[in-house]
Amino acid sequence: MPNRRDFFRTVAGAAAGAYVIGRGSAPSHAQTRRQVSIGGKRIRVIDVHAHTNIPIMEVVKGTAFEKQGGGNPGLEQRLVAMDKQGVDLQALSINGFWWYGIQDRGLARAVCNAQNEGLAQWVKKYPDRFVAMASVPLQFPDLAAEILQDAVTRLGARGTTLGGHVNGESLSLEKFDPFWAKAAEMGELVFMHPGGADNIIREEAWKARGDLGNIIGNPLETTYFLTRLIFDGVFDRHPRLRVCGAHAGGYLPSYVMRTDVACEVRNNANCANKKRPKEYLRSQILIDTMIFSEEGLRHLVAEVGVGQIVYGTDNPFNWPVTVDLVLNAPFLNNGEKEQILSSNLARLLRVTSSAPAGTGSR
Amino acid sequence: MRNRRQFLKTVAGAAAGLYAAGRPLGAQTRRQVTIGGRRVRVIDVHNHWDMPIPASIVKGTKFEEYMKGASFDDRIPTLDKMGIDIAAVSVNDFWWWETDDRGLARAICSYHNETLASWNRKHPDRIIGMASVPLQFPDLAAQMLEEAVTKHGARGVTVGGHVNGESLSLPKFDPFWAKAAEMGQLVFMHPNGSQNLLKPGALSGRGGLGNIVGNPLETTVFLSRLIFDGTFDRFPTLKVCGAHGGGYLPSYLGRTEVACGRPNQNCIIKKKPSEYMRTQILADTMVFTEDGLRHLVAEMGAGQIVFGTDIPFGWPVHVDYILDHKALSDAEKEQILGGNLMKLLRIAS
Repeated sequence: MPNRRDFFRTVAGAAAGAYVIGRGSAPSHAQTRRQVSIGGKRIRVIDVHAHTNIPIMEVVKGTAFEKQGGGNPGLEQRLVAMDKQGVDLQALSINGFWWYGIQDRGLARAVCNAQNEGLAQWVKKYPDRFVAMASVPLQFPDLAAEILQDAVTRLGARGTTLGGHVNGESLSLEKFDPFWAKAAEMGELVFMHPGGADNIIREEAWKARGDLGNIIGNPLETTYFLTRLIFDGVFDRHPRLRVCGAHAGGYLPSYVMRTDVACEVRNNANCANKKRPKEYLRSQILIDTMIFSEEGLRHLVAEVGVGQIVYGTDNPFNWPVTVDLVLNAPFLNNGEKEQILSSNLARLLRVTSSAPAGTGSR
Repeated sequence: MRNRRQFLKTVAGAAAGLYAAGRPLGAQTRRQVTIGGRRVRVIDVHNHWDMPIPASIVKGTKFEEYMKGASFDDRIPTLDKMGIDIAAVSVNDFWWWETDDRGLARAICSYHNETLASWNRKHPDRIIGMASVPLQFPDLAAQMLEEAVTKHGARGVTVGGHVNGESLSLPKFDPFWAKAAEMGQLVFMHPNGSQNLLKPGALSGRGGLGNIVGNPLETTVFLSRLIFDGTFDRFPTLKVCGAHGGGYLPSYLGRTEVACGRPNQNCIIKKKPSEYMRTQILADTMVFTEDGLRHLVAEMGAGQIVFGTDIPFGWPVHVDYILDHKALSDAEKEQILGGNLMKLLRIAS
């Protein structure tokens, strides 16, 4: 059964693996940086789905969470990969969410603060290559709101990240409204990343070939998360809220039809949403490009519109996702390609979409 | 947590509502569907019947509540109204998989198959039966499939997404798959809320998620396991139709397609997942929208999509969304509405 700790370890492992593919262990200036242009115009490629980790051993030493203190952000090595992929800017986030299990407010605050401060240091070092998405302790919704505000105002964070549930509880429950209200009020993009649907799936269900805990579990958790935000009325209570679901929003946008008719067809649906589910997909919900095929992307565009799709690579994991999927898409015009690769996220993360002037510089 | 009995009750309720809303059904005119001026035969693969089981079979067993069920008398007028020429009818609750009494399981399935055969005799050009089999006894299931086809004229067989929690991709079920493949019988799979996968209560909450998410999820895992565990490789002539557009699998195929290139995947399959989607897997038309259907056809090919209505439930699926489809040719529309199923269910044109 994949759980959050396994996921976390896998991030560290994959990160280590990814460095090997770079030229040497240190950033190599011999590497050429891919410069992405559309219609002859250089654009700034921005990646919303970029996992990292910050070592915080001094914070968790002597607690039950000591094992989570390690990790290596590996950002200098990552620059090599970004250069190769043509990614100009990554929105970094820490997605293990193991800290939702901390019951001590002080410790939870210290962990998230240390992560946000660590990320801010990297952003300061490479301001044109990274922005940070804040870690927050959602088991304390009021504290999560406070830390989000602190991360944005004091540390310059651009948005925040969360998992699909908090210790099994749906984020659509009203207890989490202080957090949603803060994110909506401040206009902070929320990037949601799943951890194998362990909130809804029986322990033995994914013991199967094909790595189904990832292949099905991850899109499933995102589907359930977004679906509950819709049907429980969270998007109605917070109309300025913007939530981005990893892995193309899971199954929801690709198979939205059954969800879209649920409130009319199912007499037990008990829906609290004011609009049709698809309307939230076309306004408040964002999704990344982790769909891998031209036909899959074409379908996403048809269902949610170009303005809701943002570029995401799942770095440092080795999924076959490249800028070329977007650049070569015959159904997109140049303006739409730029929206997906750059300008949608530039607006949401409050960064400029102007491309960097020099070449190969960091 | 929904269980199979709750699903059954919901079927009965929906059926009652549908019939009450109709006009006097005897006066109904039959809709005749044509494409390009030519009459086509519309065939529906997804046509439920919650068939009541007689006391003589289940009295004194734990299945007494299934003596109640839905009437089938209104079905022909419903088909007339919807422009469906032939319904491939199946009983889909699979509650009879919960007994370890072979004799009882056999008696229940025999009754289903005989009753469907009697409706087929009464309306040979309107109703055909998909066999019920006792999959908890794979050898008996194989035997009863053969009997249903040869003795009762069944044109395929129906299964759920799991047998008491076990994946149908386990080798113990191979005798059943071997028989279905050898006889060329279409297998229509219908899910029941992913009880095999979900923690109890996991999909409670607004939106009817046990159905809205649970059903496509169960089908997705069912088909994914048949692919990744090699069932389709072991039985290359096997054809399996997944209800509700095949669940999430065809609509969100990209992640599955790249799975075997990832660590920890333990794949044994011989082809890419998409190749099974384009040959051995079929999906029904329960996707409701023009773009949803366009995407299914793009991923699977028009030859793999078959018409299904989910009668007697009130889902918004009817012949018009296929007939009016802008991206499909007349030939593709005819394939989807009837041509593919005529071949699979051995129906003479």
